[in-house]
Amino acid sequence: MTRPAARSRSFVDRFLFDWFPADSLGAVRFYFGLGLAIYLFFQFDQNLKVDAFGAHFHFTRPIWYFWLLGIDSNVPWISFLVMPLLIAACLCFAFGKWTKSSIVVILLCIFYMKGVRDSFSGDVHHREIPIFALLILFLLSKCGRSFGIDARKHNWPAIEAWESSWPLRAMQIYIAFFYFWALVAKLRVSGLYWFSGGGRIQDTLISRAVRDGFTPTGDVVNLSMGWDLAHHPQAIWCIGVLVFMFELFFPVILFVRSWRIRLGMVVGATLFHLSNYFLMNVQFFLYPFVFVTFFDMATFHRWLKSKLRLTRLPSRRAPKRS
Amino acid sequence: MKRAVALYFIVLFGAILLRVDYFPLSWVPMYGAREPAPNVIVKIGDKAEREAGFVAVRANGETVMVGPDDLNIPNANYRRLYNQRAFNNGPPQDDRERLALAPINRWWYETFVGPDPRLNKNYVGELLHSINATFGYGPADPRRIVRLEASLRYAEFHRSHLDQGDLSRPEIDRRTAIITETGAFIRKGDKLEPMPRGIDSKVGEIE
Repeated sequence: MTRPAARSRSFVDRFLFDWFPADSLGAVRFYFGLGLAIYLFFQFDQNLKVDAFGAHFHFTRPIWYFWLLGIDSNVPWISFLVMPLLIAACLCFAFGKWTKSSIVVILLCIFYMKGVRDSFSGDVHHREIPIFALLILFLLSKCGRSFGIDARKHNWPAIEAWESSWPLRAMQIYIAFFYFWALVAKLRVSGLYWFSGGGRIQDTLISRAVRDGFTPTGDVVNLSMGWDLAHHPQAIWCIGVLVFMFELFFPVILFVRSWRIRLGMVVGATLFHLSNYFLMNVQFFLYPFVFVTFFDMATFHRWLKSKLRLTRLPSRRAPKRS
Repeated sequence: MKRAVALYFIVLFGAILLRVDYFPLSWVPMYGAREPAPNVIVKIGDKAEREAGFVAVRANGETVMVGPDDLNIPNANYRRLYNQRAFNNGPPQDDRERLALAPINRWWYETFVGPDPRLNKNYVGELLHSINATFGYGPADPRRIVRLEASLRYAEFHRSHLDQGDLSRPEIDRRTAIITETGAFIRKGDKLEPMPRGIDSKVGEIE
């Protein structure tokens, strides 16, 4: 692109279309797909912790689309069929085989498995919401045109950089604002009271820690780290301030060009999710796999391959020396 | 292409503005709400007692235990039924749905969704119906479950103690939810009270 042309492009054009090289989208799809298989397995494995041919539980509160479709009870063996289909579709998506069809299958499987899991007791969890939004962007993009089995088999021409860039930038916007909207929701519903004293964090630490009761020695059965932390409201308040700052400023990552700074930010976000899991059993612990969308994974892949080759070379030479 | 991206974000972020909470759209994380209350009330579980099951009485007078294996549901879901629904507590989305509504949100909910789910809670009725339907017991079946019981300890922490990091002095009482075909009650010590059904029935309780 010549300099005058670059000048004539709008901020939105540069923001959306000038961020990633052409081969990034396929590489992100590959790593995202691998992470997705693991993530979704652990999201829905509880559907398999029942007797496949046992009682058909009548849902207490079917999720809205089950209600519309008249699905009012669980046929447990279906989940045992859907789970391998879901994982296979994730792997096909990752390896670029029938990519778009695989996305559709993944979405349908998510609808089913989530519907079952959340209809037993009526708690609709949010852990698939960002995944769904990101998969829609993969579906609308040319993510299967590179870095995959079909692309290699059919020798498809490479996509252009802007075609790779816009879906990844849209994914980044969605992910970054997922945190920002979480802060807005807290302030909208509870105001700063959410953070005051030990805040909602202390309340949740306590309720989660005692959920399974105490041992005969007086320790909590689960989440002892959370229980210990609940005794320190000042420390929790500081953590609350960190959460506030993190959720408020995470969208800044959209304007950071340095991959090192971006890496630092997503490491912080990963620590946030891991802490939520180990302290309060909030099940977003594998969610950080979505952060691959913030990096040029094609460059990373080349780097990784070169590293792996470097580690192989000495072992090949070693027998000759001996 | 820019229009497609714009439409995508108008739908997703527009749902946040309108507080739509139906998968795949949502406006709020699970733990977004905290209501002012002088005390924090939590439930102290007893895994062994819970997994032993609900104490269930059939129409023919027989008493049986109904646990997660009988219902064939995962333990996490069973825990919610036992700890929450049996005590007429709903899922978090019901509790936060109508909190701090802006006029546009009020219009949306009252026009398209209906009354506040906290106004007339009947999670206990849904639970009893589900259990009977799971076992295939109709309304005239002598095997049908006509009474369910679930017991839990409740711990009430004073906010002033929590602010000092003192978790050693909660007031603890044992409550038993009693669900029948004609009504539901909570037994606290020697007292039997009607199951709370209204909007203020859960003030201070943290799930």
